[in-house]
Amino acid sequence: MGLGRYVAARLVWAAVVSLVIVTITFVLLAAAPNPDVQRAATQAALEGGDPTAAAERARELRGLDQPLSVRYLDYLRGVYTLEWGWADSRSQPVTVALAEGLYYTAQYSIPWTVLTVLLGPLVGVYSAANKYSWKDHLATGVAFFGYAIPNFFFGIILLLVFGVWFEVIPITYDTTVPVFSVANAVQLSIPVFVLVTGSIGAVMRVSRNESAEFQEAAFMKTARAKGVSPLRAYAYHVMRPTLVPLSTTLVGQLLALFLGSSLLVEVVFSIPGLGRVTYNALIAQDTNLVLGSTLAFTFVAVVGNLLEDLVFTVLDPRISYDDR
Amino acid sequence: MTETHPDRFDEVEWSEISRSRWFEPSVNTLGLVGTLLPLVVLAGYDRAVLPARTPTLAVFGLGYDLTAVDYLFVVTLVLFAWYLVVPLAQHPRMTRRYWREFRRNRPAVVGLGWLGVVFVGGLFGPLVVSAPEQSVLIGHQPPAFLSVDAANVATCVGELHDGRCHGTLTHPLGTTNGGKDVFAGIVYGMQISVKIAFITTTIVAAIGVSVGTVSAYAGGWVDEILMRFVDVVLSFPTLLMFLLILYIYGAGLGMFILVFSLFAWGGTARYVRSKSLSVAEEPFVDASRMSGATTAQVVRRHVVPNTASSIITQLTLLVPGFLLAEAQLAFLGLGDSAIPSWGQLIAAGRSDLSFAPWIVLAPGLVLFATILSFNFLGDALLDALNPETEAESQ
Repeated sequence: MGLGRYVAARLVWAAVVSLVIVTITFVLLAAAPNPDVQRAATQAALEGGDPTAAAERARELRGLDQPLSVRYLDYLRGVYTLEWGWADSRSQPVTVALAEGLYYTAQYSIPWTVLTVLLGPLVGVYSAANKYSWKDHLATGVAFFGYAIPNFFFGIILLLVFGVWFEVIPITYDTTVPVFSVANAVQLSIPVFVLVTGSIGAVMRVSRNESAEFQEAAFMKTARAKGVSPLRAYAYHVMRPTLVPLSTTLVGQLLALFLGSSLLVEVVFSIPGLGRVTYNALIAQDTNLVLGSTLAFTFVAVVGNLLEDLVFTVLDPRISYDDR
Repeated sequence: MTETHPDRFDEVEWSEISRSRWFEPSVNTLGLVGTLLPLVVLAGYDRAVLPARTPTLAVFGLGYDLTAVDYLFVVTLVLFAWYLVVPLAQHPRMTRRYWREFRRNRPAVVGLGWLGVVFVGGLFGPLVVSAPEQSVLIGHQPPAFLSVDAANVATCVGELHDGRCHGTLTHPLGTTNGGKDVFAGIVYGMQISVKIAFITTTIVAAIGVSVGTVSAYAGGWVDEILMRFVDVVLSFPTLLMFLLILYIYGAGLGMFILVFSLFAWGGTARYVRSKSLSVAEEPFVDASRMSGATTAQVVRRHVVPNTASSIITQLTLLVPGFLLAEAQLAFLGLGDSAIPSWGQLIAAGRSDLSFAPWIVLAPGLVLFATILSFNFLGDALLDALNPETEAESQ
């Protein structure tokens, strides 16, 4: 199988996965009583009307009286054409609400991802190069600490220390400051720090253990014997092969963290990003928005996994496409 | 099984050692069935005879109604006892070897000790410590040996001098906003954590091992379909799906455990599959086949036990994820508010953080210590159970 066919097969597979997940959400929604219909019935009952008729009307309005197959196809069409409906709780289309959330989420996600991807392997390889020195032990300690401390708990503590006691950072996120300003950098520094410590541990451990293997490899001895400078030797002969196994775990882990932590970190630091949009939608019982944000996160996950697999094949020419 | 050990390998009477019939239960299986039977009887009695809201053990004066999660928890405990603790006792030589390997990793020993405390505390703590009760008057009591500005405390239980309220040993870790004892809250939270850890581990292991071995042994299109299914499970955003389920149906602890364990076995299945494939190539599998073992016997006696060592490590590293997810949901106020978990406690103290940090700190540090212990444990088990990595770790 050539690269083109592999990529095509992988793309088809990503589409299948997204279809499966979208179908599951449809089944979940279809099997449950719709809160909007219930609300309409309650409303009618409170106003002295007929709750059954009101519920019927609400169902008709939302097309719930049609057969399941029609509704499913309608649903699919809506999802894939990005017609995600109206977010009642925010009085705007779901896609607009999500885009607004994404604007804030991106502001801390991009520095976080860049820092993790840059620092993680660097510290890991450095740690492996100085194995069992105090620096290595320190790095290992930091890795375990960051990995084990719950992000939201760490966030609260840092907010207490730097926000309440030292008053270095604002306690609530200020949306009025421009994106590229010192104030914004200051207020995002702690959330980014919390997320980086949370995600860098795993990256550091993997790159440390993987690169330890390559340091003793024959090609490193050759490079040293030829008088290649240590920096160049590590950059070319250790870092590169280390990145290959790393890339298989990195994206998955970052995504898992992104899905889980962005919600928590945004709630703790009151950043009005995607996670908070989801959270508020849950609280406000806004079905369309809950569904929309779930789908948004899901698509991010599917696309992330897809990219991971594609990057992996490009990075490592040694692997034939038939193996997977 | 006869106890005479022949001197030479070729004198071994194979039919005496390998079980000839397909199903001849071991002592452990018999013990398991023997322990589970009374439990099934109790569950049946609870369901069929007792009125819905009567506590299960009301006859003995225990006012605690057993839920489905409790039954599941007891079943998993029994499983662990018969298939982990008893086998370790049955093979003292191997146990000593594992322990020697394990002991070299000092953080892991400390971690194991802490997990032991959580386990015992979760199992027996609620019997000793009374449940945290709401009592608004004694809210915000500081922990023992610490003091807090008296203005923040409605009624000071301990000594009050210089305008500062001092903590007492009645509330060793202070109280929450509502006057609930933080220490009691942590002990009750241990129980929730132990339940989550045991039940999820069992479900994940059961599904993962089954799918993995079936996939490896069936091969062909069964393998293909199962592994594609694993791909879907692996790329499934569990937390979000759980939020969706929670939103549509509402969800308690049982649903949490179910959803999270039903979408966590993907990695285990992959692991077991690759391990099974490599074990199937081993000479000892050929040997047992030649002496007449069926596929079922090979899988039961050789393949599954050999994959166990690698999945134990993997499961150890999965548990902290579940505990964290539960705490996160509880913190968001989306968890099961009926259960006193650590996350609930952290959430409860968040608004009083500036003057009563112990409400957040105590359960947060306990959660941190538990997750850290699991990670240390997983690291050490990897070295102890897998002799191949030994050379690398040195």
